Amino acid sequence: MKRLLQLLSMVVLALTLSAPALAGEGGRTPLPTIPAAKGDQCVEDTADMRRNHMKYLKHHRDETMRQGIRTEKYSLKQCLECHVPAEGSMAAGGKESEGHFCVNCHVYAGVTLDCFECHATKPETTAQFHPLVSPAAMKAERPDSNGLLNRLVGVTENKTGVAHE
Amino acid sequence: MSEHKQPDLARRELLGRGAAMAAAGVTLAPGVMLYGVAQAKPADEPVSSKVRWGMLVDTTKCNSGCNACVEACDKEHGLGNEQHSRDGQRTQYIRKVELRHKFTGATHSLPVMCQHCETPPCVDVCPTGASFKRADGIVLVDRHICIGCRYCMMACPYKARSFVHEALTDQRPHTPRGKGCVESCTMCVHRVDEGREPACVEACAADGSRAIIFGDLNDPNSEIAQRVKTYASSEIRADLGLNTGVRYQGI
Repeated sequence: MKRLLQLLSMVVLALTLSAPALAGEGGRTPLPTIPAAKGDQCVEDTADMRRNHMKYLKHHRDETMRQGIRTEKYSLKQCLECHVPAEGSMAAGGKESEGHFCVNCHVYAGVTLDCFECHATKPETTAQFHPLVSPAAMKAERPDSNGLLNRLVGVTENKTGVAHE
Repeated sequence: MSEHKQPDLARRELLGRGAAMAAAGVTLAPGVMLYGVAQAKPADEPVSSKVRWGMLVDTTKCNSGCNACVEACDKEHGLGNEQHSRDGQRTQYIRKVELRHKFTGATHSLPVMCQHCETPPCVDVCPTGASFKRADGIVLVDRHICIGCRYCMMACPYKARSFVHEALTDQRPHTPRGKGCVESCTMCVHRVDEGREPACVEACAADGSRAIIFGDLNDPNSEIAQRVKTYASSEIRADLGLNTGVRYQGI
């Protein structure tokens, strides 16, 4: 009986974790959900971007950081502008359920993503300052893309409030 | 010690140019002029060492109770979103310091931020090369390679750097911040590259004090270069010979 319960809980856990992946196409192969992006064309061909986006990003990151070159092509900020809906549009269009473009695919591929430990996960809605802690972040951790995003970037609820020197 | 690059203008020429500049400036309010401080460089062009960005703080105009620059900085960079850190651990890019001369009793209030030294001690001690100075004199932390050892915090004589103790969310897109990295005033590098002024400078001007001015110390026509040429200004801990980009007037 105990073994059966263990097995059941494992199945439930596996289903929860793979929910966004299964939510993709209806076929037998689970595919990641790719939320629709703005515009028709990415900065390079889709196949090229799939294989090389990390190289473009890393190259651009060093140029921006060290030399102040702020071209929009290959900038992470610009990726998010097109691929991730801003906070307002998420609430309005109900796009939140589709999840985060980068995160969905990285979860599917099982590749750790470090960018969002520091970088903003979404573009700013307007020129106005958005609240420091958004309502989405205040919600309890759910096994949706926000939860997955947090898990992926290592943001965990630190209930104990212990800070380390 | 490197020599200071000061504009070399005859007084007559300076006055002439000053008048021409005043004509070219934009009047925001009576007595408040907006000089053409920074022209935006093309986005694909690297920053150049011909420019040395700096700030001049006039402590006689800085009010004791005013915190506008600190608030503007917090807002601009999304600071203060730590949930679990103690007050002493929270990130601050600028802090207001109140000074009182023990003998004369003279008091001053001034903002202290990263002083953007020409020879920064934080860069000297960084074991990974994360702490660096851009060609235009802005001192930054490359968080991609910062390991959070905090040597730079120890080395900085201005106590300008902070360490992020906890995982953060809801950063602003132009200021990535995260756990385990050291950070400090960036002189609003994202704004400067667009040809705008740092947030604290803007807030101080909006507040009416105009105690902080920003500009290119190497450009003899800039307001800041003319001010440091005309009036006595000093560095904090000038004895260290760091040739800071942030200078103070009236202390």
